[in-house]
Amino acid sequence: MQIVTLSLKKPNKIPIEADNVNPDNFAGKTEGEIKAIPVWYGNGQCPLGDFFNVSVEGSDSAENTKIVFKGDVSRVKRIGQNMSAGEIEINGNVDMHCGFGMKGGKIVINGDADSWLGCEMMGGEIVLNGNASYYVGSGYRGESCGMRGGKITVNGNTRDYVGEHMCGGEIIVKGNVGLLPAISNNGGKIVIEGNATMPASEMKSGTVIIKGEVSDLLPSYKEEGTEEVEGVIYRKFTGDVNVGGKGVLLIK
Amino acid sequence: MSEMLIKNANVCDPVQGINCETMDICIRDGKIVESVSGSAKIIDAEGRLTMAGGFDGHTHSAGKINVGRFMNPNDARKNLVPGLSGQVARTEKTRAQVGYNTPNTYAIGYRYAKLGYTTICEAAIPLLAARHTHEEFKEIPILDKMGLSLFGSNWQVMEYIRDKEPEKLAAYVSWGLRASRGYGVKIVNPGGGEAWGWGKNVSGLYDPVPNFDVTPAEILMGLAEANERLQLPHSVHVHCNNLGKPGNYATTIETMKLFEKINPSRDRQALHVTHVQFNAYAGTSWRDFETGAPMVADYVNGADHMTFDLGQVIFGPAVTMTADGPVEYANARMLHEKWSNQDIELEDASGVVPLFYSPKSFVNAVQWAIGLELALLVKDPWKVMFTTDSPNGGSFVNYPEAFTYLMSAKRREEVISGFSKMAIDRMVLPGIDRELDFYELAVMTRGIQSKMYSMPEKGNLKVGSDADIAIYDILPGQIDPSTEYAKVKKAFSGAAYTLKDGEVVVKDGEIEATPKGKVYWVNAKVPANIDIAMQKDIDVKFRKYYTVSKSNYMVEDTYLQKPVEIATEGVF
Ligand SMILES: [Zn+2]
Repeated sequence: MQIVTLSLKKPNKIPIEADNVNPDNFAGKTEGEIKAIPVWYGNGQCPLGDFFNVSVEGSDSAENTKIVFKGDVSRVKRIGQNMSAGEIEINGNVDMHCGFGMKGGKIVINGDADSWLGCEMMGGEIVLNGNASYYVGSGYRGESCGMRGGKITVNGNTRDYVGEHMCGGEIIVKGNVGLLPAISNNGGKIVIEGNATMPASEMKSGTVIIKGEVSDLLPSYKEEGTEEVEGVIYRKFTGDVNVGGKGVLLIK
Repeated sequence: MSEMLIKNANVCDPVQGINCETMDICIRDGKIVESVSGSAKIIDAEGRLTMAGGFDGHTHSAGKINVGRFMNPNDARKNLVPGLSGQVARTEKTRAQVGYNTPNTYAIGYRYAKLGYTTICEAAIPLLAARHTHEEFKEIPILDKMGLSLFGSNWQVMEYIRDKEPEKLAAYVSWGLRASRGYGVKIVNPGGGEAWGWGKNVSGLYDPVPNFDVTPAEILMGLAEANERLQLPHSVHVHCNNLGKPGNYATTIETMKLFEKINPSRDRQALHVTHVQFNAYAGTSWRDFETGAPMVADYVNGADHMTFDLGQVIFGPAVTMTADGPVEYANARMLHEKWSNQDIELEDASGVVPLFYSPKSFVNAVQWAIGLELALLVKDPWKVMFTTDSPNGGSFVNYPEAFTYLMSAKRREEVISGFSKMAIDRMVLPGIDRELDFYELAVMTRGIQSKMYSMPEKGNLKVGSDADIAIYDILPGQIDPSTEYAKVKKAFSGAAYTLKDGEVVVKDGEIEATPKGKVYWVNAKVPANIDIAMQKDIDVKFRKYYTVSKSNYMVEDTYLQKPVEIATEGVF
């Protein structure tokens, strides 16, 4: 097991783009080597050690590497981008694009996450013990396929466009979501335990379950009886007929 | 005075009939000259293939491409042709670059120059939106630029044709070119842009345009006569009716035939038909869709009044952008894709739709084959301009890849082997063994452009021509493009040298300098009395219909960087 602990020397205003900060890139490296890894800071690159205190215990493969952020990193973006194994634990708030394109491993965030959490994620797991901002598990701007695999669990609320253009994988939100969850999605499963507004517009396929209140259900859904999931009976809707969709929307 | 001597160049210059002969090229003050003094700077080409700078005679690189950019922010990160696409950080010599099909303006300049290209012609300038095109031209470094202005669904044009006022029509075309600082007359799906304003299209050459009582055939003939009356350097440049529809090859041939009676006023073609790949489809539906290239090529082989370009398809993502509004609507519906639709007031329509050409789709595979069939079945390369209608058929950064298809039957077989039997049954390409040589390739990428645009100083290495020169890392006698196509592709992907007006802008595939290019436009003289009468008519249009006033409409000279005015004398 290798444990790498990072803590910011002082809070940064200009964002740090930590797209190199993942277990794949840290595994087997010494403190000095990790400190030397370049990260973007504004329009230039600087070594990670300029911003973070770094301590390393042990040396191991990516699967057995855990990165622990102590404290708030709310101006550090792209933590865990493209990671394929290992674990990242963030004990504070985190900036945008955390877990972008993640392929495997696990990220646990004990705080809030800014927008684009798990954007274009392909595998692995993200657990957010706080609230998320916009576009959880969505696609890159303009792309037609967002999250493709893996699982995101949000134990708080999220803002708008959860699972936008999602094509696979699973998102569970324990709290409420904002506008237009599951917009334009084409596969995958979204479970919202709280409330949602205008869900699943332009959904082509996939499943959306909403356990709380639904506001402004779109008229472009067909009601087709009921369906039971884990002992609970839901009203079943299919659509979005506007795009010839065969998605399933289950609401109370 | 700056002088340069390129020694030991293996020159391939079809305009002069030079086919891979080793010689020296002398340059003084940006022009090719007879001889230079002993103090000239020397580049030793070491026997490498040397051509005039490439000339893309039909590309969408300024104007509508910007709609493509904002519809496809994801294009910015696409890097399908490393070195010529994707995100590239700023360097001391170059600005930051992004994109693949819709790169930023700087990237367009750098990447064309890397391919050894030095001139581009933007294929569609709506008069009303011409300022924007010129704003983008200004920010495309290195290249010389020009553009074709859209006239094919213009109210004033259709009215003058209906009312049989050919002189006023010519005056209007002259004014439109001046207003847009355009180089030539583009006609897109004649009449269709206006019909699209009513949610309709025209179905062929004799289908009248709603409310105007003129047919596409009359629009084509009227504009062609005006074009020749004004003695414009280029012929009309036509995107035929029924583009993208199975069976459209018949309309295409009919359109070509129509122009047999047009007498060109200059030593050039009477008609240029563009991206014929999209207009050479046989069959009656997408089920029985098949190539119509043999029929089109047959006609072209027997005709001597016209030229055409390919619109070759490149597999992968592309972005279609055209003034053919109804076609883009059909594309968006059929492909369930993003759709942009624009009404250009009294002038035309336009649309943008991204798409993906897959070798697994039999339709896309046949489209890919049709472009190559056209290039290879038409015997005379002087009738064929190479294009991908970038980025409609694919991004221009794929030209080197496409050159290997033209030069190697083996390379084509490799691609064809991935097609379904159904696709192969619908094309004739597998039976074609013709392979182009460097000379024929130079005709299609340089020589024909020089002739069809009447630009004697472009596309060739004659004494007096612009010193726009590309040297590629190829030793013509020592390479067999038919088997060594990987080498050919590599060499064309990054010129050993590209010179623009005698300045080295690319060396070993990297940008060396980024001078500003010229912008060519045509000013055709019209008798004052006819011009005044025409202005009265368009004043009414501006007063009654346009959202802008005439004084705000004209592109002024301050909009143009290094403008070059080509004057012609109208015959009235
Ligand atoms: Zn075009």
